[in-house]
Amino acid sequence: MNARVVSTDIVLGILPIALLVALWQALVTFGYAPVSLLPPPGLVFARLAQQLVSSGYLHDIAATLFRLFAGFGIAVILGVTIGLAAAVSPGINAVVRPVVRVLAPLPKVALYPAMLLLLGFDHASKITLVAADALFPILLSTYYGASMVEQKLIWSAMAAGTPRSQVLFKVVLPAALPSILTGCRIGLVISCIVVFLAEMITSSDGLGHVLVAAARTFQTVDMFVPLITISLLGLILNGLLHGLRTYLLRGFPEV
Amino acid sequence: MSASLIGRRLSPLLACIGLLCIWQAAALVLKTDSFPTALEAIRAIPSILGDHEALLNILDSLRRMVIGLVLAALVSIPLGLMMGRSRAIASFFNPLLMVVYPVPKAALMPVIMLWLGVGDVSKTLVIFLGVSIPIIYHSFQGAKAVEEKMLWSGAAMGLSAPQRMFRIVLPAALPEILTGCRTGLVLALITMVTSEMIARQNGAGNILFNALDMAQYETVFAMIIIIGAMGIVLDAAFEKLRARLVRWSEPDVDIPVSFS
Repeated sequence: MNARVVSTDIVLGILPIALLVALWQALVTFGYAPVSLLPPPGLVFARLAQQLVSSGYLHDIAATLFRLFAGFGIAVILGVTIGLAAAVSPGINAVVRPVVRVLAPLPKVALYPAMLLLLGFDHASKITLVAADALFPILLSTYYGASMVEQKLIWSAMAAGTPRSQVLFKVVLPAALPSILTGCRIGLVISCIVVFLAEMITSSDGLGHVLVAAARTFQTVDMFVPLITISLLGLILNGLLHGLRTYLLRGFPEV
Repeated sequence: MSASLIGRRLSPLLACIGLLCIWQAAALVLKTDSFPTALEAIRAIPSILGDHEALLNILDSLRRMVIGLVLAALVSIPLGLMMGRSRAIASFFNPLLMVVYPVPKAALMPVIMLWLGVGDVSKTLVIFLGVSIPIIYHSFQGAKAVEEKMLWSGAAMGLSAPQRMFRIVLPAALPEILTGCRTGLVLALITMVTSEMIARQNGAGNILFNALDMAQYETVFAMIIIIGAMGIVLDAAFEKLRARLVRWSEPDVDIPVSFS
């Protein structure tokens, strides 16, 4: 019964994607859109398959992934540390709160020119931008997760003899984990988006650069390929994070 | 007004001043041409805002942003609410949204420009696309969390399905929807800047990146301050509106847990 519900869900879910591709194909076949503006899906996917085995394109994917992971990693480390510290210590909280309140709504892309001027056109400026954008969702969800930890859990742990210095790692961190992982998921999607944008603005390699280079020469097919690639990458990374989440949260009550 | 409230009002301002001081100090230490001090950048602001054309450009950007945001809210909130209340609709749209989510919407700009030109339509469309997904997602979460009992009571009192949607689900999901709109507001600014940077024609993003290309570093940093201030002011204004609309909702989780 349950399996049947799931399989209906999958069919329902594939339907709109299939419809979208069908609509795309129909627009081309019936001549509503010239092939030079909207290449047929078959052509795009064939080109994608061809690109995925070419070393040049794989190099671009590797460059994008490197920046993505570096920026995301920095954001996770900083976000979780600062978030926990702010939740635990009122002193740090008093400093972090107003700063976060000012910096979080700031559109970070606007800072990118400053990062370019300070850090150069290489990896560093892009990684900084990714980290700056992914940091705040992770920081905020860590903070809220850690500040909502039930006081009873902490008292019980201390009554059971947990030393104060270990309460943070043995009680607060695990209890905040579901919230932290939700923040990481948002941060990961944002990292995908931002790394692509940064590469579109200035870069000599990476998926964003492939798109811009194709746009300059009106190679419409090549414009769609990096877009589909980043969507696939996002899906795969999201799937991996989901797997990590089910592994880390085994035994947690319904998440 | 109590002292703590004044403190809470003033602390973001203090944080701004603190950040500007750090910038000033860093610029004085580094001493490179491409990194002006905070004071130099602030001094460049009046000349940008005083320039008639630049001011019109910035207002144009804001107008596109607001139109895109409002259109996105009008479409996304009903869609998200319906997804939250119907399992079939949710499983219909969810995979599509997951596929579309990691695609940077501003990266669609070159493709959309081919179809619709570089004018207002394509930029507004890109902002619309960029903002929709978080609003849909939060409305979906909000509607899903509505208590069944309230809906049953509503049905028992004779409310039809659309009436239940309007009078029970919408208000109950409002705090979550507004959180989505707040995320959307920041995203709209980001998409606005990037779309104008890709279609270099007019707007705030264009001024910023043109100044970068022409090595007018004071203008670059002044524009960063202007765009940043827009983000902070819009966010604060929205937060005020939100607090007014959902005054009944539980207060902010402000109090840090201390276990010492």
